[in-house]
Amino acid sequence: MTFFIVVLRGLLRRPVRTGLTLVGISIGIGAVVALVGMSRGFESSWTAGMKSRGTDIVVNSMGSSLTPKPFPASVRDRITQLPGIAATSTLLVELMGIENSEMMIVSAREWGGFAWDNLKVISGRLPHDAAERAVVLGTTAAEMLHKKVGDPLQIETEELSVVGIVDGGAVVENGAVILSLSLLQEIMGTAGKINIIDVRVKPGTDETAMRRLCDEITQRIPEARAEAAGEHIRSSQGYRIINAMSWGTSLLAVLVGVLGVMNTMLMTVFERKQEISILLAIGWRRSRIVRLILWESALLGFFGGVVGVILGVVGMQVLERTPAIRGLLQPDLSPSLMALAVAIAVVVGILSGLYPAWRSSRLHPGAALQG
Amino acid sequence: MSPAAPDRSHDKKAPVFEARGLKKEYDDGQVQALRGVDFQIFGGEFVAITGPSGCGKTTLLQLLGALDQPSAGTLTYRGTSLAVMPDLAAYRAREIGFIFQAFHLLPTFTAEENVQMPMFETGRPISERRERAATLLKSVGLEHRLRHFPSKLSGGERQRVAIARSLANGPGVLLADEPTGNLDSENAHAILDLLSRLHEEQAMTLVLVTHDMTVARRASRAIQMHDGRVVFDGDPAQLPTISAI
Ligand SMILES: Nc1ncnc2c1ncn2[C@@H]1O[C@H](COP(=O)(O)OP(=O)(O)O)[C@@H](O)[C@H]1O
Ligand SMILES: [Mg+2]
Repeated sequence: MTFFIVVLRGLLRRPVRTGLTLVGISIGIGAVVALVGMSRGFESSWTAGMKSRGTDIVVNSMGSSLTPKPFPASVRDRITQLPGIAATSTLLVELMGIENSEMMIVSAREWGGFAWDNLKVISGRLPHDAAERAVVLGTTAAEMLHKKVGDPLQIETEELSVVGIVDGGAVVENGAVILSLSLLQEIMGTAGKINIIDVRVKPGTDETAMRRLCDEITQRIPEARAEAAGEHIRSSQGYRIINAMSWGTSLLAVLVGVLGVMNTMLMTVFERKQEISILLAIGWRRSRIVRLILWESALLGFFGGVVGVILGVVGMQVLERTPAIRGLLQPDLSPSLMALAVAIAVVVGILSGLYPAWRSSRLHPGAALQG
Repeated sequence: MSPAAPDRSHDKKAPVFEARGLKKEYDDGQVQALRGVDFQIFGGEFVAITGPSGCGKTTLLQLLGALDQPSAGTLTYRGTSLAVMPDLAAYRAREIGFIFQAFHLLPTFTAEENVQMPMFETGRPISERRERAATLLKSVGLEHRLRHFPSKLSGGERQRVAIARSLANGPGVLLADEPTGNLDSENAHAILDLLSRLHEEQAMTLVLVTHDMTVARRASRAIQMHDGRVVFDGDPAQLPTISAI
């Protein structure tokens, strides 16, 4: 028999209570995995979208909304001559309700800009020119809108036709309705307005040069900020709020789990007073008793964490399929997040066990043995 | 007994325990369980402690086993005061085997696992722990009960497991607090036989609390207590029987 078996036996002596405690903590950990996974997924999905648009630097002005604030397209002229910049491409990206879908990414791109280059046509074709009253749909967007090539598509009050289905190489690209910039500006009555400038840098630009270039661009375009693709999402206020809310909500759930573990461990110490006294009487050190209790609560945390990760992954997959989220992001299922969740659970277990362990160490070898 | 009997001849002369003016109070002095007890116990002795219920026998045994501390007086073990002993856990684990009237086995562990418990503190490898537990259980006649949980054992069997556990780390002293108190006379006899066999074969020092005169008479020496004091210390054959009632 190893010490570990002694620890396990302690947990198994009240299987129902241990199970319920485990459920309590795993719900908290599941929330961490699902909510944080979603918000991280949001970030990584947008980053992947940038990458597949061929963007190195994104120039935009992220306010507290999820889409950037518009600014005049003409500001682009201030940076096109900068050394280090290979190409620029302007966009107007909006989240809007289209037909029966509540929220779709609508990505309007400057005709001839490099943002069109990476779209792989699955069926149909790209628009003939900037003026054609046509859209292409990412594969997921087509599925969600139940559209095929040749179908009409209503944007605001305008009826356009779907001329192609494309694979954009990233979730947000595939979830997007893509059309020419001037067409969307016309439909929305925002002529000359854009909210993103994609910048492609000259090959061989290293990180420091990138950062210097970003600073230079931001200086020339005070209306917006230039950031390396991916970093801009993280610095957006909207994303920060989502991120903070998902951590806040899930850590609150974890806190409930903490109270559950602490309660269980206190009960286990109280109902085992006699046994702990016996162990002390036959020569166990207090430190071993403390270790026993801490290991039990750590293990409770660990198992709760593992179950929680499973719950969270299942929960994310359910969420990912809901119409509100589908096509907007791909949840973060990275091992690092799962390891983090399990680590949180173990730490939570140990912290919850500290007070019960301290109580156990105050017990006396003779206390429960009278008579 | 199969685990090699340790050679304890060297400490035959020096007292194993020496109590001087030993007092124990409970509840801030409201209860005086021991009112000044003096004695010496030598290696290899079989001492029976008798006396009426509430006279302080259990209290005394708990002090000897370092399960509690005296309120006044000194208690030394092989010349060292327990009050200044640096590692009481090691003392409890290695020097002393404690046997309780209520057995006090851990209910969620098998007989074999219960016997292994004290060995965690003495750094024996797992295989040795298991082997030794099996050997000890065999020596108390329970080789067929290794995997049984205490709830599946009879009272006599439970006390045998407890005795095997008390021997886990090869102590020189056994402290038994009314070990037969919860047993019928047949089982009580068997347990006493087992304890005296340990005393004889392994030259263990045995301190046994009992209020049963026939049990006390099997000892080499009897200490009778009354109201927290020693009232008789000598040959068990001369025990004043009346006061024990
Ligand atoms: N933990 C305790 N708290 C208060 N009083 C106690 C405690 N333990 C024992 N006593 C009292 O001390 C006296 C001696 O008890 P004990 O040593 O158990 O006697 P015995 O074992 O001879 O029956 C009794 O009056 C008992 O009630
Ligand atoms: Mg007693």
